[in-house]
Amino acid sequence: MKTRIKELVVRRLKLKDTWVICFALGLVMMNYPFISIFNKPISPFGIPLLYLYLLIGWFCSIFVVFLFSRAAARKESEGRGHP
Amino acid sequence: MLDANWVWGTALLYIAILFLVAYYAEQRRKAGRSITAKPSVYALSIAVYATSWTFYGSVGKAATTGIDFLPIYLGPTLTAFTWWFLLKKIVRISKENNITSIADFISSRYGSSQWLGAIITVITLMGIMPYIALQLRAVSTSFTIITGYHDFHIGFMDRVYIPSPHPGLFTAILLAVFSVVFGARHLVSAERHDGLVAAIAVESVVKLIAMLIVGIFITYSLFDGMGDIFRQMHEADPELLTRLTTLGDSGDNSYASMFSLLILSMGAVMLLPRQFQVMVLENAHESHLNPASWRFPAYMFLMNLFVMPIALAGLILTRSNAGADYFVLTLPLQHGHPWLALVAFLGGFSASAGMVMVESIAVSTMLLNHVLMPIVVKVTPRQWFPVLLINLKRLGIVLVILLGYLYQSVVNESYMLANMGLISFAAAVQFAPALIGGLYWPRGNKAGAIAGLLLGFAVWFYTLLFPSLVQAGGWQSEILRNGLFGMELLKPQALFGLTGLDRYTHALFWSMFLNIIAYLSLSILLGQGEKESEQVQRFVRIFAPETPVSQWETKRLSKPVTIMQFVNLMSKFIGEQPAHAAITDYLGDREIDSQGGVSEFELPNLKRFVEKTLAASLGGAAAGAVVESFLSDIGSRMESVYDIFSTVRTSRDQSREALFVRLRASEIMNRSLELDIIMGDLLELILKEFKFDLCVIRLLNDQAVLQVRSCKGVGGERITSEDRMLEIDTHVGEAFLGRRTEFFNDTSFITKPIAKEIFQREGIKSFAHIPIASEGAPPVGVLSVFSRSIIGLFTEQFVELLESLAGQLAQAVRIVEEREARERERRQKEAALLENARVTRDLELAKQIQLSLLPESAPRLPGISIASRCVPATHVGGDYYDFFQRGNSQLDIIMADVSGHSVGAALIMVETRSVLRAQMQSPRPAREVLGVLNQLLYDDLTGAELFITMFCARYDCATRTLAYANAGHTRPLLFRGGGWQELDAEGLILGVEQRVEFEEKSVALEPGDLLFIYTDGIIEAENKEEELFGVSRLCALLSTLQDQEPEAVVERVLAEVNAYASPSSLQDDISMVVMKVLPSGTNCGAC
Repeated sequence: MKTRIKELVVRRLKLKDTWVICFALGLVMMNYPFISIFNKPISPFGIPLLYLYLLIGWFCSIFVVFLFSRAAARKESEGRGHP
Repeated sequence: MLDANWVWGTALLYIAILFLVAYYAEQRRKAGRSITAKPSVYALSIAVYATSWTFYGSVGKAATTGIDFLPIYLGPTLTAFTWWFLLKKIVRISKENNITSIADFISSRYGSSQWLGAIITVITLMGIMPYIALQLRAVSTSFTIITGYHDFHIGFMDRVYIPSPHPGLFTAILLAVFSVVFGARHLVSAERHDGLVAAIAVESVVKLIAMLIVGIFITYSLFDGMGDIFRQMHEADPELLTRLTTLGDSGDNSYASMFSLLILSMGAVMLLPRQFQVMVLENAHESHLNPASWRFPAYMFLMNLFVMPIALAGLILTRSNAGADYFVLTLPLQHGHPWLALVAFLGGFSASAGMVMVESIAVSTMLLNHVLMPIVVKVTPRQWFPVLLINLKRLGIVLVILLGYLYQSVVNESYMLANMGLISFAAAVQFAPALIGGLYWPRGNKAGAIAGLLLGFAVWFYTLLFPSLVQAGGWQSEILRNGLFGMELLKPQALFGLTGLDRYTHALFWSMFLNIIAYLSLSILLGQGEKESEQVQRFVRIFAPETPVSQWETKRLSKPVTIMQFVNLMSKFIGEQPAHAAITDYLGDREIDSQGGVSEFELPNLKRFVEKTLAASLGGAAAGAVVESFLSDIGSRMESVYDIFSTVRTSRDQSREALFVRLRASEIMNRSLELDIIMGDLLELILKEFKFDLCVIRLLNDQAVLQVRSCKGVGGERITSEDRMLEIDTHVGEAFLGRRTEFFNDTSFITKPIAKEIFQREGIKSFAHIPIASEGAPPVGVLSVFSRSIIGLFTEQFVELLESLAGQLAQAVRIVEEREARERERRQKEAALLENARVTRDLELAKQIQLSLLPESAPRLPGISIASRCVPATHVGGDYYDFFQRGNSQLDIIMADVSGHSVGAALIMVETRSVLRAQMQSPRPAREVLGVLNQLLYDDLTGAELFITMFCARYDCATRTLAYANAGHTRPLLFRGGGWQELDAEGLILGVEQRVEFEEKSVALEPGDLLFIYTDGIIEAENKEEELFGVSRLCALLSTLQDQEPEAVVERVLAEVNAYASPSSLQDDISMVVMKVLPSGTNCGAC
């Protein structure tokens, strides 16, 4: 089950479309009006909410790109294996 | 404060280490084991994005406007999502086209336009000025902060008098030297700079570590972690904290500025010249893009992790945001950690130096290729050009840095680092429409790109750069306050009445709006040039599978250019050795013809290769111009070929017409067996389908001459009437002997004098001679086609089609020839058989005649019994015997053998017989007979080169004596009682000498004697062991037969000899006369 989900995710990550969608999604999530949700003068864990949101969001997007590059590298090696 | 010498010394040491690293990387590259061709090094080199603006300026921005320092780094992270397809495409195109810079990239896409390249270069130069200034400012200010001196300062400067210049000059000079040494080692800009990249990577590591060390020190040594800083800030100034950590409604740090900063940074990370340099040109392998797309954002993340804490800490500790740009330096200094400040200084210096190096090199390359080169290529190339060019490039680097220095001299200290950088970002982002459109929109054209760039640049200059210069200079300007010509609508910072935006958003909006509108509208309204559409294929469809388009190259060089001419051209720009290396690499296993050129179809590819090679050093536009002007100098140019196949091509080599012609040709070949009809119909077909004026077929005849066998079309008497010898100095002969198609697309470049004269008279513009040959076989003739109207008729595909038609014809010719050859052979065989039969019949006749010339039967004489026989080995022979009876008592016996047993021998034998018969009319002694015969026959015998051996004897019945003479004949055998003897007499063979004396002997015979006269055929008969029959064997045989009748003796001897020679037949004629003397008394009475 776990491997099946992983396979599915990897296959989707290989698509150029997924990259573009993630790019657009990131752009939306960093702009008005979406960002106004976090644009409040409160500090959970003592850290301002917007700052925290951007840092966590940043970290997450780096992780997603990491997954992308793993999947793409996999595609390449598979591509070499089965020309 | 630190001692200036210490700081200076440390910086010097650091630079020395960088040089060592760079040197080591270069050495490794030369050894073929590059250390920089790794994903990690690639990601670190992209981090050249983080300049001293990041290192110092981010903190400054965080402390003054707040959280909007972050989008500058969030933007690049977002673009990382597009790297896998966008950057990959750019990298692929750049590598395929030897792109040298972003100006080169964009101008190449729009038809290698020199104007576009120059415009982009100017925009870059202006746009990058504030950015370079920022770096110089950062270095000199940081030096000032930690040493107290205004600029780089060494101890001995106090002792010698050096006029104190404006701060930052020494910094500028230092960085310029640094960049020249690293970046302009060789002219080729499209190659990777291993040393540079290694130094950049090390600098990236240093600045990250420095930032982290300072961040950790401030956060965990001066404070109790990040939470503590935020808490203390909240306690000290909650309002300020809220302002800094939230977005406002308008102005700086608003939603709008967040958006525009994201867009600016996204554009900058791809479009700034230095980013293009490291990401595209210094990319070693496309696969490195993948890991870099998360490592670079991760690097940015770490770099910015402590920016906010440091900014807030500075605010808490200094209670002011004045000098916030340098909190990274000042906080450790203030808290008694000068060495930490030195580390931070090195980090900042790394950030500045890396940026200045790469940026100045990239911009200087653009300057050289797009501003200087168009002027340089107008001058005739000289041998010292490579030296000049590399020095121009070095000069460019210095110039770029000096411009930055000028800007920072003008702009006063009040301008923050981040603000200076953003001006540059806004300039770089102007390239985005032309670049992205150029990559994905096939319609995008040069006019649109130029107009968009110019408009965008103008707006940027008017709304951003100009105000920055005016404000920073401290001048008050009417324009700034009241707008151009006093028009409110033209106020630089509220253009067309647009207010409420920060200046970057304002400038970004207007510049991009006009830029994109101009680009789109002009692209739609106007078309593309020919060269542009060609480049669209190479850019937009770079990932499309190899289309057959390149196979159908529809261009040709009007005058052929040799390889050496191209090499000489390249040598003048890139030096002799690289030129030769490049051409050797290119030629590989390509075919080179006798004149040292490549085939005409290969020439456009060679030209493109030369352009590409030059482009690696001069940029695409200049390279194109160089090659173009070179071609026009030697009187050649690219021109379109006449397109014989007008319909859409279904596949690589089968256009509809070609298919039709092939089919028709097959029909013609199958319809008839008559070669003349086939050739006539085929020529008719070719003439009609391809609009030739004249077609001729020549076939090789038996005299090795190419004979005109068929021709169609008008005129050309000399061409159609003359046969051609197989000589290399005619084009026909060359095609035939060389076994390859000879064609000229333009007869004005023909060199063979006879052909030139003929074609001029006939007005023939282009022609082709195609050898008629089937696969692997030698040609049988030549098919020639001529056109009077069309230059450049023969494309590779057309020649292939004609060759395949000639191949079909060769098959037909071969079939007809084979059939004729078989027919001829059959007839020859029949004739030979007939002839043979006739000769055999004649010889048989001759044999009969010859045998009839011999005595029919032996004479009957009293006292003797005679038997004789002649067996010729072939039809006719040279043996002869005769009897002349004189009354009842005397008998002359002749036995002769003409040498050989040919027809000649038979004729001589006949002559001998005639002469002998004439001479024997009167009785003569034997020796006289031989003497006379010799005299009479001598001339004929020497003439015929034949001899005769002859035995002549006269037997007298009354006296029983045998008188005889011998002319070299085999000695007859006489058997008497149990023994035998040879009858010998001196005498030479007839026909050797004119006069010969013959000896005459006589022997008295007794009853019962057996005389055996014979020719040598008997004793020379061979058995299969090649042993002769021999006299002794004959004698032994005859001894047993002494009692037998002569006829029986003859039969028996013949049988024995035949048996001996069996199974082969007798080699020589056999003749024998057997005479037996009967016992006395019995017959004597009859005598």
